[in-house]
Amino acid sequence: MSAVLPRHRVNVLTGTKSARLIEDPAEYADLIKKAKRPLLVVGPLLLESTADGKLLLEYALDLAKAGGIPVCATAQTRGKIVELGVQPDCLYDAVEIVNALKDPDWQGVKKEGNHDLVMFCGIRSDLGNQGLSTLKHFARHLKTMTLCKHYFPHATYSLPNFKKDSEWYEFLESLIANLKKGD
Amino acid sequence: MAVAEKKLSRKLEEIHERIRAEIPWEPLGPTPMPDMPDLRSWDMRLLKTYKPFYAPFCDLCCLCTYGKCDLTGGKRGACGIDIATQQARIVLLACLMGCSAHAAHGAHILEHLIEKHGADKKIDLGGSIEIEAPHIRTVLGLKPETLGDLQIAIDYVFKEVSHLLDSCHTGQEGAALDYESKALHAGMLDHVGMEAADIAQIVGFGYPTSVADTPLVDMGWGAIDKSKPTILVSGHNPATSTELIDYLREHNLEDKVEVAGVCCTALETTRYSDKAKIVGPLSRQLFFMRAGIADVIMTDEQCIRTDTPQEATKVGAAVVACLDKAMYGLEDATDMDPDEIVRRMVDDGEHFAILDSSKAAEVAVKVAMELAPKRRKEWVTEEEAMELAEKCNNCGMCEQVCPNLCRIGAGITELAKGNFEPMRVLFNECIGCGKCEEECPRHVPIFRLMQVAAGNETWKARAGRGPIMDTEIRTVGAPITLGTIPGVVAIVGCSNFPDIEDVADMVDEFAKRKYIVVLSGCSAMVAGMKKDADGKTVYEKYPPDFEGGGVVNVGSCVANSHITGAAIKIANIFAALPLRGNYEVMADYVLNRVGAVGVAWGAMSQKAASIATGCNRLGIPVVLGPHSSKYRRLYLSRKEEDDWRVMDARKKEIVDTGEPSPEHLAYVCETKEKAMPMIAKLCIRKNDTPQGRAIKLNHYISLHKKYIGGGLPEDLHLFVRRDADIPLVYKKEVRAHLQEIGWQPKEPVGLPTYIGTYPSKVSVDAVIH
Ligand code: SF4
Ligand code: SF4
Ligand code: SF4
Repeated sequence: MSAVLPRHRVNVLTGTKSARLIEDPAEYADLIKKAKRPLLVVGPLLLESTADGKLLLEYALDLAKAGGIPVCATAQTRGKIVELGVQPDCLYDAVEIVNALKDPDWQGVKKEGNHDLVMFCGIRSDLGNQGLSTLKHFARHLKTMTLCKHYFPHATYSLPNFKKDSEWYEFLESLIANLKKGD
Repeated sequence: MAVAEKKLSRKLEEIHERIRAEIPWEPLGPTPMPDMPDLRSWDMRLLKTYKPFYAPFCDLCCLCTYGKCDLTGGKRGACGIDIATQQARIVLLACLMGCSAHAAHGAHILEHLIEKHGADKKIDLGGSIEIEAPHIRTVLGLKPETLGDLQIAIDYVFKEVSHLLDSCHTGQEGAALDYESKALHAGMLDHVGMEAADIAQIVGFGYPTSVADTPLVDMGWGAIDKSKPTILVSGHNPATSTELIDYLREHNLEDKVEVAGVCCTALETTRYSDKAKIVGPLSRQLFFMRAGIADVIMTDEQCIRTDTPQEATKVGAAVVACLDKAMYGLEDATDMDPDEIVRRMVDDGEHFAILDSSKAAEVAVKVAMELAPKRRKEWVTEEEAMELAEKCNNCGMCEQVCPNLCRIGAGITELAKGNFEPMRVLFNECIGCGKCEEECPRHVPIFRLMQVAAGNETWKARAGRGPIMDTEIRTVGAPITLGTIPGVVAIVGCSNFPDIEDVADMVDEFAKRKYIVVLSGCSAMVAGMKKDADGKTVYEKYPPDFEGGGVVNVGSCVANSHITGAAIKIANIFAALPLRGNYEVMADYVLNRVGAVGVAWGAMSQKAASIATGCNRLGIPVVLGPHSSKYRRLYLSRKEEDDWRVMDARKKEIVDTGEPSPEHLAYVCETKEKAMPMIAKLCIRKNDTPQGRAIKLNHYISLHKKYIGGGLPEDLHLFVRRDADIPLVYKKEVRAHLQEIGWQPKEPVGLPTYIGTYPSKVSVDAVIH
């Protein structure tokens, strides 16, 4: 069990089962590559930009492209994604996609069966963590992974609390590069 | 068998006696004074479509000495409970706390008022309100005529609460769905308790009633004259604050002493005196206390800071705890000589509990007048703030503990450089908990810094007006059920907002679109805390009437019952369906035909949980803000995958509509942008006429385009029954889209109802008016 404290302590102390902390992008990439039917859920925090003016959403879309992962757009992310010339693979809000995912018989975004790995990025940490808790308890048929810059205890796999945003961007860039590499 | 029948009839006989069943003001329906199981089949029907969605806050249960029990991975507790049932149990507990808070508030107010006016004091809500108590009439089957009759309602709630609480004991209920049915029962009871409490207040304190344009009252600490002795009233129960106003009036001091309120007591007090000021919602409570403007703080009950005496001591203010619910370990001075109490408070800085409200009022005024000249009340200047902010090294500790995830350290760093803007933005996001300041290793006085961000702006709020008038219901009943008034949006509840300005934006957006916007509680205050380009708040911009485009403040938390009561009145007055002991028919009507939605954007308390759950049992969906995921339970459907069959009561046929309206019963949105179209969507009802549907879809599409973007709403086709439903402005675009996806028209349902689709004592004919 990890002793990592989440960035926002309102999410602290989940109980007995906390996320495995992974700091190595290659290890993250391997986990993603192993998944048969991954899904990436993007949230409105990705509508912010880095200091250099790069939209955070672009990291997520690059990652989806590199890994061939379908994208679920929540809240108002749809508009921006479409503006960037991409059609999201599905449109559900955060609680709706979690609600669908927890049904083992749901056929998933591509109608090929429910997803086995669901990645989340850009959902506020309190709501995100509650949704991950739902999946932890009621969707034991899948694993969850977070790509945000903070630790999410209810996920299966989580990134650490990055001290600097630049470290997080580096991680994401390296993860994307690893995914591009193929097997 | 014979014994059971006899018992049953004795119980019914007792109920009939209590509600005076022999008086034939309406025929008595099947469920007067329902017990836990009486409406269970209605609940189960709701829960079949709107399934509970659980987000456990913790993996464990620690409620008994068998535990803690680990409930992860499908494990059961030592008592046998599973994680879903445990969540439902906690939700029920929350609803019971909420329901108890309102009902006990009602009981206290009734005791106070019956003492003053007698139990026979008549209920008279003015010439425009005949259906004085839609909830009590519907749930109990009683038409309350006096304060004493309201006591019958409260006694009924108390009894039911005990049974429900009993079911939470270890080794009782074993199914999540049954706990949900019990939570829905608690929620329904809550609206009864709230209604009894507010009717008592209106009658006993002479609050405005049968009137729409109640006075506009001043809001914001800028409105408070700091040079005068200032008394802060805080909480929900006006028994003391009204005595305070009386005392000031009797002693000609109303213009010499400032009375300011936070949270619902502020709303209550301004219903009694338009000279009282509103400081703001709950989120401004600690901030205002620390600003030191109040000389005396009078607390009553609910949502008051539990560290009020400690905070008051820090700034040299005095505390009078006025209600037994919160005595803070203070000495009970109820029987002490008032002058002695005043001396000890002024000279020794002591705080007291005084449970006699007139004595509490006298003491508070005297202490405030003596303390005020001795205290300094100075606002921090921009220069001082910049200097204080320099201590901050942006370590981020404060940000870790902030429940609203505010980037407060970053704001302080900017403030130190003389850039005040980020702090102003943060002040609107801050929920005023004080966690950041407590955590700061360098002891940066964050709250003092916020004073600069807060400024001295003042606003207006309309005083709460109580029930919606029967005359208004007669006018809007048809357009609401036909859909030509696109919906009733009730923005209610606490101030745990992602951003305080969201509320005014929502009010403006929906009032502009001619929805009826109804407000209560902290949301009613916050709605007035933003001005448009002409310097007007929504209360100045929109009429106060219950009509399309009106903005109505019903009052405090307990006044929420008037919002749900209005929905019942539509069924009863407009549709002429009897309500007496006829809960299922009322709820079914509201769910299927009244396009009303609750928005509890900053819901925080257990009361908010029970209010929302009570709305849900009555068929009113509720949109919640992101924090509300921590309530652990939502009621969600799965659009295309769920059961959208209804009975067409005219044809007596079950019809599969495939139309998810309303789509969810309790739903969390992450952002205001998502909430806007969701609110519009949740106003859609199967009963809409083509004209009404086209209006509703017009708003759904346009809000979606405005706030989400990327094209038409992805589920639009589910809500278009025939071409006539398509709004004119989007005809071309929508037709093309529908053609592309192979949409097929379907017949609208003449008279949609759930009755007849599940086992119930009620017959389908009961829903036909
Ligand atoms: S109530 Fe049940 S689950 Fe909770 S601690 Fe006791 S035995 Fe364990
Ligand atoms: S905890 Fe104190 S020092 Fe650290 S960032 Fe916050 S205000 Fe600054
Ligand atoms: S007082 Fe405001 S900024 Fe500080 S922790 Fe609480 S919500 Fe956050």
